[in-house]
Amino acid sequence: MLVIDQLSVSYGAIKAVREVSLRVEKGEIVALLGPNGAGKTSLISAIIGLVPASGGRVVLDGVDITRRRTEDIVRLGATVTPEGRHIFADLSVGQNLRLGAATRRDRDGIAADTERMLAMFPILRERFASRAQTLSGGEQQQLAIARSMMSRPKLLMLDEPSLGLAPKLVEQIFGLITELRTQGLTLLVVEQNAYDALAMADRAYIMNSGRLQFSGRSEELLASDDLMELYLGTGTGVHAGAAS
Amino acid sequence: MTALLSQLGLGRQSLFGSLMLAALVVLIGLIVMAVAEKAQIRVANVFFVNLILVFGLQITMGNSNVANLGHITFTGVAAYVVGILVLPLAIKATGIPNAPFGLAEVLIHFVPAAMIAVVFSTALAFITGLVLTRQTGIAYTIATLALLVIVHTVLTNWVDLTRGPIAMYGIPIRANTVSLMLIAGACAIVARLFRDSRWGLQLRASGEDVLGAEASGVSVRTLRLVAWTLSGFVLSIGGVMYAYMVGTINPKSFYFDAVFLTLAMLILGGMRSVSGAVVGAVIVTLGTELMRWLEGAPVIFGGKMPQIFGLTGFFLGVVIVLFMALRPDGLVGDEELDEMARRLWRERRTKGAKEQAQESET
Amino acid sequence: MDYVIQQVLNAASIGGEYALLALGLAIVFSVMGLVNFAHGELITISGFTMYAIFIFAAPTSAWGLLPVGIIAAIAAAVVFERVAFRPVRNAPATTGLLTAFGLSIVVKNFFVSVVGATRPRAVPTPDWLSSHIEIGAVHIQTLQLLEAAVTAVALMALLALLRGTNIGLAMRAAAKDFNTVRLMGIRANQVVLAAFVISGLLAGLAAVFIMARRGAVDPFMGFTPVLKAFVAAVLGGFGSLGGAVVGGLALGAAEVLFQIILPESIAGYRDAFVFLFVGGVLILRPQGLFGRKHQFGDKEG
Repeated sequence: MLVIDQLSVSYGAIKAVREVSLRVEKGEIVALLGPNGAGKTSLISAIIGLVPASGGRVVLDGVDITRRRTEDIVRLGATVTPEGRHIFADLSVGQNLRLGAATRRDRDGIAADTERMLAMFPILRERFASRAQTLSGGEQQQLAIARSMMSRPKLLMLDEPSLGLAPKLVEQIFGLITELRTQGLTLLVVEQNAYDALAMADRAYIMNSGRLQFSGRSEELLASDDLMELYLGTGTGVHAGAAS
Repeated sequence: MTALLSQLGLGRQSLFGSLMLAALVVLIGLIVMAVAEKAQIRVANVFFVNLILVFGLQITMGNSNVANLGHITFTGVAAYVVGILVLPLAIKATGIPNAPFGLAEVLIHFVPAAMIAVVFSTALAFITGLVLTRQTGIAYTIATLALLVIVHTVLTNWVDLTRGPIAMYGIPIRANTVSLMLIAGACAIVARLFRDSRWGLQLRASGEDVLGAEASGVSVRTLRLVAWTLSGFVLSIGGVMYAYMVGTINPKSFYFDAVFLTLAMLILGGMRSVSGAVVGAVIVTLGTELMRWLEGAPVIFGGKMPQIFGLTGFFLGVVIVLFMALRPDGLVGDEELDEMARRLWRERRTKGAKEQAQESET
Repeated sequence: MDYVIQQVLNAASIGGEYALLALGLAIVFSVMGLVNFAHGELITISGFTMYAIFIFAAPTSAWGLLPVGIIAAIAAAVVFERVAFRPVRNAPATTGLLTAFGLSIVVKNFFVSVVGATRPRAVPTPDWLSSHIEIGAVHIQTLQLLEAAVTAVALMALLALLRGTNIGLAMRAAAKDFNTVRLMGIRANQVVLAAFVISGLLAGLAAVFIMARRGAVDPFMGFTPVLKAFVAAVLGGFGSLGGAVVGGLALGAAEVLFQIILPESIAGYRDAFVFLFVGGVLILRPQGLFGRKHQFGDKEG
């Protein structure tokens, strides 16, 4: 579904991403892990075209999208739920969802999808007419995901969906991500919260200082305290640490 | 002296660089005096006045990186103050017989008059700066523009004092190429030393990252006020020199034509450096003279702040638009010429040393 | 009473004109962070296009000139965006501002040198625009009434657009976070284009009224109205759409007020007083009447 080949991103003299290659197959949940500043968000931004790649290639469903505009990539079926819940604060919940479906022309389909999202996130139905600004952090995250879903993406990339959320909400969001996969979605999840992300993902990549350091199956990582310690700086104690 | 310099955060490089720049300005003057004919000398005189104004503009705009469109205000105020003080009484009797504050009977020697004008206009800069520096970004730019319009309105309407829209003529000519180039050189030193001083450095840092600068305990507002006032000082000197150069002033000389002429000079050269001001002023002056020649107008404007006509104005506008799109840092960019020369020299030397080392290895 | 109504209408029509222009400035600024100093040139281009049609096409009725003026302003706004502003779209605010300033100089001098128009040239507008109507005992200028009414209608239409259409919602969203709007698959160029079309339309409406009042064009005609609009926008809080409208109306009211209270001898200083008054307001409220408290590092640079 998504093939990234030797992708690099530079900001002036600073190389944020150095020749990273990775793949995401259809129907998979892939976790992209690593500490703050590892280049994960830069990588996602380059995939979706918000920052230019300084080298390498991004291929989506056989189409080279390396130099495409963000809006065109989104129309091809990939989207990002950005970090820090970039919801449209001045607009209502309903208007946020409406803009999520801005590329679509099928009124009935949009109405059905809105209904589906409201069923999945009951709180959004309750707050449908409120300004998004007034939502709590967890509610905003739900809105951001629901809004991404409104464009009916094939590939959804979530940037730090658990950031700043209470553990219970993290569990809920991750449960939801798993559910989205059963509906045929392919997911690339960027996380610092390694343990919970691995519990949900099929495979994982680990980045540090702009480079890819590990790739493998989630169980493999979870089963090996050494690997966890080595790449994520977290040993057995992780479980308690991540959950707290 | 060195203690004072280090107090301001200035090193030898800054001192050397500013002197080099002043020498360059003087050199331009000497060359012109050696080879130019009378009409060209007039062009050169106008060039030096404009250069002073561009230095003044660079002090605010180049360091704080926020557009200032009202700088000519202080030039105009200083020019009118000095004009009113030195105008011969006979001319006052016909021109501004009803001048308020008994100014119709006042006549002062041209040096103290210049000082009074500069002090007055700089004080005005300080006072307006107190208000203006409360604004940031766009509001600040609009406020500078509003200041220009307010003062222009006053100059045009206070007929008893300024003769209003009619030119005030008869100001004794006291400036020549020598005095103009020396004063322009001095202003180059002021602008360069401010740029390199601790204040200038902090202000430039704030242009890129105001939050960071505020967090490090620097009051950006105070810095901007310092720059604004110093800029007003240099622009006032420019105004005085202008009045002494042409002997005739009117409010239009200190309005948009002058604003965008000097702005184009600064943008073309590169507003982040004082060298850029010099380079921009030279090129734009040559360019406008060329345009004027193309327009078929003889150099009868020489001696006046060049009035901008269609083609020249068009050319200046195109320069601004193209540079903003293609080279927003101007020709010179961030580095002063001497800094650039030193860097290139150093790179060449290290490269040479490396090659030598490689050769000795083989 | 008659006098009061006339002065109120006077303020509303002048203020409405400033509001139309300030709103165009605010929309472009809020969407793409550009301070469009060339906004006044939309008025000039609109005026000169009307003049050109009048000279070359010699229409039998001046009616037809009105839509021409509006369309010309919209077209000019679109061309400005494409030619001058797109290359600096992601540049710092100062770069965009200076680009616009340069563009404004280019357009002014184009008319000075190519059209050779340094003196004003007459352009007719329909007679009924300058007629008067009587409502009861009150004597009202049609132009002023129309100006106030058109401003009100344009504002309501704009409000409907911003509340009820995808592109309107996208423009509001883009004011805060353009990248996320693009993540919705909405084309950045379309959002920016919409902002310019709207600003051109509003400027075109203002231009028609300005032409009706002046009856002539010259290359510098756009400067003063737009300077006032800038002051109005800053007064209201730059980038705030509501602020632009309130600032425009407040400025119109202040002008009329100063016109009434200033003695004859210093009436020439009216604009200076108005600007000083605005400066006073901004000392008390640096962010303007409706602006958020300014955050360093905001779009305003």
